[in-house]
Amino acid sequence: MNPYTQKAESVDEWLELLRSKRELMDNVTFWHTEPAKPARTAELPFTVHPKLAGALGSKGITQLYTHQAASFREVSAGRHVVTVTPTASGKTLCYNLPVVQRLLEDDSARALYLFPTKALAQDQVAELQELANLMEADIKTHTYDGDTPPTVRQAIRNAGHIVVTNPDMLHSAILPHHTKWVKLFENIKYIVIDELHAYRGVFGSHVANVIRRLKRICRFYGSDPQFLCASATIRNPREHAERLIGETVSLVDDNGAPTGEKHMVFYNPPVVNKQLGIRRSSVLESQKLAALLLKSGIQTIVFARSRVRVEILLTYLQETVKHELGSKTIRGYRGGYLPKLRREIERGLRSGEIRGVVSTNALELGIDIGQLQACVLNGYPGTIASTWQQSGRAGRRQTSSVTFLVASSNPLDQYLIQNPDYFLGRPPEEARIHPDNLLILLDHLKCAAYELPFEEGDTFGGEKLTDLLEFLSEEKVLHKVGTRWYWMEQAFPAHNISLRSAAQENFVIIDQTEGHRVIGEVDRFSAPTLIHEEAIYLHEGVQYQVEKLDYPEKKAYVREVNVDYFTDASMAVELKVLHVDLEATTGALHRHFGEVTVMAKPTIFKKIRLRTHENIGSGPIHLPEEILHTSGYWFSFSEEESAKRSANDMQMALLGLANVLIHLAPLHLMCDPLDIRVVPQVKATHTKQPTIYFYDRYPGGIGLSQRLYEKHGELLEEAERLIRGCGCLSGCPACVGPIEEVGLLGKELAMSLLQGMKA
Amino acid sequence: MSGLRDRLNRLRGTPEPAAPRNEPPAPVQSERPALPQGFGAIGVGLEENEAGPFLLRRIAYPLPYRHGKHELGELLARAGSLLPIAERQNGSSGPIDPYRLLFLDTETTGLGVGTGNVPFMVGFGYYAGNAFIVEQALIRHPGEERAMLTYLLDRMKDKTHIVSYNGRTFDWPVLANRFILNGWRKSGQSPGHLDFLHPSRALWRKTLPSCRLGTVEEARLGVRREDDVPGSLAPTLYFQFLSDGNPEHLHGVYAHNEKDILTLASLAVHFGRLLDGEGDEEAILESEELFRTAAWLEQHGLTEVAERLFERLAEREEAGEAGWSLPLAARYKKAGRFERALPLWRKFAETAEGAAAPAVEAHIELAMHYEHRDKQLLTALTYAERALELAVRRGILARDKVKRDAERAALQHRIARLRDKVSRERK
Repeated sequence: MNPYTQKAESVDEWLELLRSKRELMDNVTFWHTEPAKPARTAELPFTVHPKLAGALGSKGITQLYTHQAASFREVSAGRHVVTVTPTASGKTLCYNLPVVQRLLEDDSARALYLFPTKALAQDQVAELQELANLMEADIKTHTYDGDTPPTVRQAIRNAGHIVVTNPDMLHSAILPHHTKWVKLFENIKYIVIDELHAYRGVFGSHVANVIRRLKRICRFYGSDPQFLCASATIRNPREHAERLIGETVSLVDDNGAPTGEKHMVFYNPPVVNKQLGIRRSSVLESQKLAALLLKSGIQTIVFARSRVRVEILLTYLQETVKHELGSKTIRGYRGGYLPKLRREIERGLRSGEIRGVVSTNALELGIDIGQLQACVLNGYPGTIASTWQQSGRAGRRQTSSVTFLVASSNPLDQYLIQNPDYFLGRPPEEARIHPDNLLILLDHLKCAAYELPFEEGDTFGGEKLTDLLEFLSEEKVLHKVGTRWYWMEQAFPAHNISLRSAAQENFVIIDQTEGHRVIGEVDRFSAPTLIHEEAIYLHEGVQYQVEKLDYPEKKAYVREVNVDYFTDASMAVELKVLHVDLEATTGALHRHFGEVTVMAKPTIFKKIRLRTHENIGSGPIHLPEEILHTSGYWFSFSEEESAKRSANDMQMALLGLANVLIHLAPLHLMCDPLDIRVVPQVKATHTKQPTIYFYDRYPGGIGLSQRLYEKHGELLEEAERLIRGCGCLSGCPACVGPIEEVGLLGKELAMSLLQGMKA
Repeated sequence: MSGLRDRLNRLRGTPEPAAPRNEPPAPVQSERPALPQGFGAIGVGLEENEAGPFLLRRIAYPLPYRHGKHELGELLARAGSLLPIAERQNGSSGPIDPYRLLFLDTETTGLGVGTGNVPFMVGFGYYAGNAFIVEQALIRHPGEERAMLTYLLDRMKDKTHIVSYNGRTFDWPVLANRFILNGWRKSGQSPGHLDFLHPSRALWRKTLPSCRLGTVEEARLGVRREDDVPGSLAPTLYFQFLSDGNPEHLHGVYAHNEKDILTLASLAVHFGRLLDGEGDEEAILESEELFRTAAWLEQHGLTEVAERLFERLAEREEAGEAGWSLPLAARYKKAGRFERALPLWRKFAETAEGAAAPAVEAHIELAMHYEHRDKQLLTALTYAERALELAVRRGILARDKVKRDAERAALQHRIARLRDKVSRERK
């Protein structure tokens, strides 16, 4: 440690300092060190084009890492490939090498690259252009997205060798106008899909259908492209790739890139009230660790789970280190920042000018921000895969890096921090998609029919196609003549179908402090709770109060304020069962799976004081109800079981159990915790019995509730284990919930309910 | 005489034109097998080629036939004059031969140029002998598309230009999609375009409520339609026909499409006359339109005709108030004809003095003129000072703060310089 600047020479030196701090080390519950790994390489295959070999040589690449060589081999053999590698392991070369090789051999060949976001696409174009320049080869790479000026679009359609775009653009602009892309589709040899793991859940289910459409059009133009996919570490990369593209895929996962030593430190904030089981705020503890790193000159990324948390952490951090570093060197990064601002932050991080960044999982994807030295996770990111992804942002090839996992008081975080083996010993999650969700499938079937007529005997996904086409004919969307179904409607179907549940309907945030200035955007689902009137909206650490929310126009007008609180909104949820598909009874318990309608309405918001987090006021929210038809799983308790306790006790027991289950469910489903919701009801409208409902937060459902119905027993056992294992006296945020919520007997009541149902 | 005409017509293969009275002719009856009554009633017959069957309706208009105020036959003499439009729209163009024009208008199942938008009716017109022929191809279902397109391609063979209203960005791209979807690839040269939407906009954007074909024909070509089915209803009517097979749903669509094609020919005559310098200028009542017509003619290289119109415009009473007087003055300024520009500016400046939100451009022009060309510094100073006063008066209403401030700063600068010059001159 430099005694004058207080800067650490390296992460290793800083870790020494940490070890000497008792007050911090007491909270470290687990310290895992992954040793440095040397590189494993293979010779550049002799088949590589001399120009390409030369260009790589001039970039200092004379050998390939083993995974790069393996994927080149697989692609050359004509197979579809998925490459699985961690961050910063030379992943792009896995697909660029075979693609560029082919383009050098055959100028008429074409390739299509898909990235989940525009930002990633732009990084890629820069890299390919650099390579083309080094080779002095005429390989034209272009992005084609919403930002592409109309004047150059035609040139790209006719002459671009590599077209880099995103699934949304493919869905709404390229496929419905495929006749303008004859050159591309007649000559397409490769389709590159990077960040494959990002295509999961609803979004992934949509994308799988877009790919079905893409393949259909390729077939029409007589081409049969190879898919080259790349994914971050997930448990089922091959299966996921195969489901997504509908082909047999070979897997390359032998990562040969070197890594420096990696430290993974589990940090549990100290208990401040043993009886209530209350720990110190994970936000404050994350801030403390991050500030310590930043002050020592270590470039650090902090991940927080919500946008609000990002802004709060940013405000705290900028304040803490403003004397040492100046507030411009610590930045926020999240969805809702405008692209220009994001590019500026990415550049600052790469150049090292920006020393710290607080981000949502928006930076989890492979956006190029260089490699940082340290990472602080404020709360468990929700999945093992995400944790590794985020932690991968810190870690250079030669030097050491450190990641802190700062546990929050929610049950899942506490479960993990006390069971580190669960985290380290378990493979990361599976990526699941459900492309045959009837609503999603039908939407894309319409788009596909718009693009090309269907012929009897065609296939599209798993459902029986003829039935669906007949249905659409009855709806007068298609018109059948002989053996063919033709699109016969005035509408342009892709316009009404968004791949990302909220992308199309963002609310714009307009700052009217001085003139009118758009400062950001919020998706439709977050709007009721984030930008209701009187809400405090945080943007780049600055507080704004929402003065007017124009709901039909999707605009929120805000003004800069300076207050010492933030706001937190609650939703009232009502639930109706439409149809029961499956049911079973075990002991005192009935469980069901079926269709439900959920009506959600924001009710009130609370004002919470900064730092102390005490409640200092509240107000009503007047917004229309959101209605969702989806699939649900629910279980209810028999008359005898409910007769054993008072209605109030039953309420507490249900609430406690629901709190535990909702945290465990995403673990079993390996899904984003926001995708599945829970509602306990002491006297349910449908069953008239005490019931706990789960539902998929997507119209039509995406298979989550159904899996919960199947894994029912396992889930309850896990819940029992968690409650039993919790060190608290009578309930805490880490198990059934704080006693303010579930009462003094909450833990006991939940436990007895669990045991009662086994009887 | 009439015997000779008959013989010539037979040789040319064109049907006998109807009586010279201006009544629409009956469609040519098809000799093909019978179709449902509803089709036969309006002269629709079955047509067949190597790609299969589709329906065709054919009407021959004698050339003296008037559609609105123009005779269809007039284009035979005027088509050549449309060359400047063709050159402007296609970069370059060969000469325009009226017999090699294809007037085109499609009715489609939807909007936009996506691959799912199907033209279910392709209407086209062309001159043959001494008749203007309208043909309307219809598909009874999408399976007949290929046959219809085959027929269209055959009709296009000897044509150099497609005459349309928005066909360059709509009808033609939609048809191009269909060719590709049917497995045909572009070969040889694409046809040139004479898309009358663009000239119509240039002339009438400011003076007509819209530039839709129906508005334009009624206001400027004297065409009246009775019981017209609006084009926007065509898809719905076609879908009804698809679901119950009753051809009567389509009668209105046939009539509408037929009229659109006739209007295209009439519009061609209209633009031809303008470009020949024989447009009915007296009929152009609004100065704005006169200005736009003149500017449009100038753009198409007809300087002399344009000049004549500009001169008439400059003499008009309302010069100085209207939106066109500044651009017109600017034009004269560029040409060095200050004797024309100055009265326009003065009138404009006079009007501005009394306006609630005055424009100061004319004042500035006058200040510049008197400072640099006429060397009457005091007059220049007076105009500049008045301009600043007006700018301040308008300032409260101005929206663009940055522009407003820049304008004021420039005026202040000009005033300071002029005062300086004036005082030096006095010394």
